[in-house]
Amino acid sequence: MDFNLPGEDDPRRLAVRKWFEANPSPSYAQLAKQGYVVPHWPEPWGLGAEPELQLIIDQEIERAGIVHPMTFNVIAINQCGQSLLTHGTKDQRQKFLPPALACEERWCMLFSEPSGGSDLGNLRTTARRDGDHYIINGQKIWNSMANKSQIGVLIARTDPEAPKHRGLSVFLIDMKTLGVLVRPIVDMTGEEPEYNEVFLTDVKVSADRLLGKEGDGWRIVMEQLQTERMHMTKPGAVWGGGPTARELMSGLIQTGKINDPLIRDEAGKLFVEGELLRLLSLRNLSNRINGKPAGAEGNIGKMLASPHGQNLSDLAKRSQGAAGMVRDRSVLPLPPKEYGLFDNWDYAYWFAPAATLGVGTQEILKNAVAERVLGLPRELDPTASLPFNQAKLVKPKGAN
Amino acid sequence: MDFSLNEEHEALRDNARAFLSKEAELSKLLVPGATVAQAGYDGMWNKMVELGWPGIVVPEAYGGLGMTYLDLAMVMGEIGRSLAAAPLFGTLAGAWAVEKAGSEDQKKLLLGEVAAGRLRLALAVTCANGTADGAHSDVKAVQRDGRWVVSGRNAFVVDADAADKIVVLARTKDKGQFFLVDRGDRNVTVDVLEWRDITRQVCAVSYNNVSAEPLSQSDDDTWPWIRDRLYLVLAAESAGGIQKVLADTVEYAKERVAFGKPIGAFQAIKHQLAELAGLDQCATAGVHFAAWALGEGDKRASLAAAMAQSYASAAYRDVTYRNIQVFGAIGFTWEMKNHLYYKRARSNAELLGAPRHQRDQVVRLLEKTPELLSA
Repeated sequence: MDFNLPGEDDPRRLAVRKWFEANPSPSYAQLAKQGYVVPHWPEPWGLGAEPELQLIIDQEIERAGIVHPMTFNVIAINQCGQSLLTHGTKDQRQKFLPPALACEERWCMLFSEPSGGSDLGNLRTTARRDGDHYIINGQKIWNSMANKSQIGVLIARTDPEAPKHRGLSVFLIDMKTLGVLVRPIVDMTGEEPEYNEVFLTDVKVSADRLLGKEGDGWRIVMEQLQTERMHMTKPGAVWGGGPTARELMSGLIQTGKINDPLIRDEAGKLFVEGELLRLLSLRNLSNRINGKPAGAEGNIGKMLASPHGQNLSDLAKRSQGAAGMVRDRSVLPLPPKEYGLFDNWDYAYWFAPAATLGVGTQEILKNAVAERVLGLPRELDPTASLPFNQAKLVKPKGAN
Repeated sequence: MDFSLNEEHEALRDNARAFLSKEAELSKLLVPGATVAQAGYDGMWNKMVELGWPGIVVPEAYGGLGMTYLDLAMVMGEIGRSLAAAPLFGTLAGAWAVEKAGSEDQKKLLLGEVAAGRLRLALAVTCANGTADGAHSDVKAVQRDGRWVVSGRNAFVVDADAADKIVVLARTKDKGQFFLVDRGDRNVTVDVLEWRDITRQVCAVSYNNVSAEPLSQSDDDTWPWIRDRLYLVLAAESAGGIQKVLADTVEYAKERVAFGKPIGAFQAIKHQLAELAGLDQCATAGVHFAAWALGEGDKRASLAAAMAQSYASAAYRDVTYRNIQVFGAIGFTWEMKNHLYYKRARSNAELLGAPRHQRDQVVRLLEKTPELLSA
């Protein structure tokens, strides 16, 4: 066991730093070409880097004062891009990955529907095969960045006669295709919309946009969600990102609020939790170095990180009293640093209720931990084994 | 960089688990009316001596095994898991006091005896009001004819009755200093308290002009140095206990049937257990980090120790309380072991101060050393 991160004099770090000295303000395309966007991917996309080198590169990107490409295009770079390596065709990789890694094309996920987010398998959007095309009809909702994206990763039902989880398929669609209508949702923060509704009306998609095989859809999106949850095992205020308990503590010390004994105790508690979350995320990394397979631990990580982040912004707010109710981004100071989207406590606080809703509600996460980590009995879904077009008609017991 | 346990740590842990699952016996404590007198302190101690555990972190130069704090955490986790009762906590505490504050001669003599299993120790630092801060003491030390004598009283001394010698913190004219006294001295009185955790012997100790041998290198750093290590010991015990109690609770939730299905199928139960799984992961991570940091003398060592103890002891309480609730009324009976773990958990959160005290230490360290916020 060795909790030291790779040092300042690590030769791998010196080599990376040398590149940044030679290329002081690299474009995302340059970073992608260098393999620094996804160092852990195989060449030519990445460097086949072991997790330590990946960590070094991420740290050096931050040190160079560059907003990490992941912040800009997280869905392509973290959640979904990797699916093309495992399930995509060579042509799909060539067409979609270079512009995604260079951040020239942003991706969004088109998963949730009005018919259910937690029960994602209940989705109703259809993709009907028509010659060398599919015709897609339906509605998606809670699609982060869909209004700013060029590519959508869409899950739709290709076989309505198969059970709900088996008749699904994933497509990579152009968001500017005729019949795709994107409407931003103004959320309760009142800030620039993060989420959208996406209406799909007779959208014609070439068959070569199918990712994997027909019917692979559930497996693919579950892999993507696991990757996303693992990524959220971090101590930041919203989904692992943004300021952490360290910055909260720093602000409370700077403003003297830490001298209130109740705030002091809560801040101490949150600091400890945050450091332990940091250790868990690093342990996940080590387990991969040591060749231990990534398991269901991403579910535990997100289950812990979401309420932790909510409690951070909550204490940041409460420490301000009535002044915290004024729309003011600078109400509790943050040390200068690149925080990504949630770069102030005000936005983090008003956004916080979503943290236990998106990417699996807290209840869904607890089910996953109980069932997949602890081995407790699974939730029964009476509709799971029926053909989807019949299951829709099953009435819950006790319903009229 | 490697945040995982290696195979040697895992082997040490597995061997300790195999040994304790055979040797540690709780059945005598599950008879109503049982006290710590039935915990089997002496028998378990003798078996631990055979394995060399008293000298596990005693440096090799003094006849110990010279193993790391991570190794110690592996063993302490298994002791916490099994609730094996023996005067190890007191002996570790006393040995650390000698290691930190003793003269070279004292270290050679005493640590060698500890490592050989021939000397059991206890560390007495707690005032009657529960304060244990290394500065305050209800025991006074004075010099008479060139010899030191101590008088006064300590509360809540772990393993004092089982000890051969007690290391006591006493006030001299101008400072706090550590002294050694013989448990068998006729001027030393030890009362074993009716401590609710009957897997651990906790005592009040009185001294009436007892001749005492000073640990000559005592200074202001002595107590914090020992305390950080005791935090690790208790936190490791707690994390080990959490793992065991969580496993027991999960097993019971899978077996116990109500309304036609295992109670673990109900979200009211499974969601609670999922939360406990999170506590388990974090408590263990904190213990490993603290053990590593103390072993390396890392600048985060004190911070890590206080974090581990505050988190693990609070989490242990939550897990053992939930465990009783999931078991239902049967878990409330003396003949089940659930209460032994609950009482151990509660007592671990009081013996070295409450979790909020350690959290205050965390904040103080961060105020004093802001670099720790970016380490």
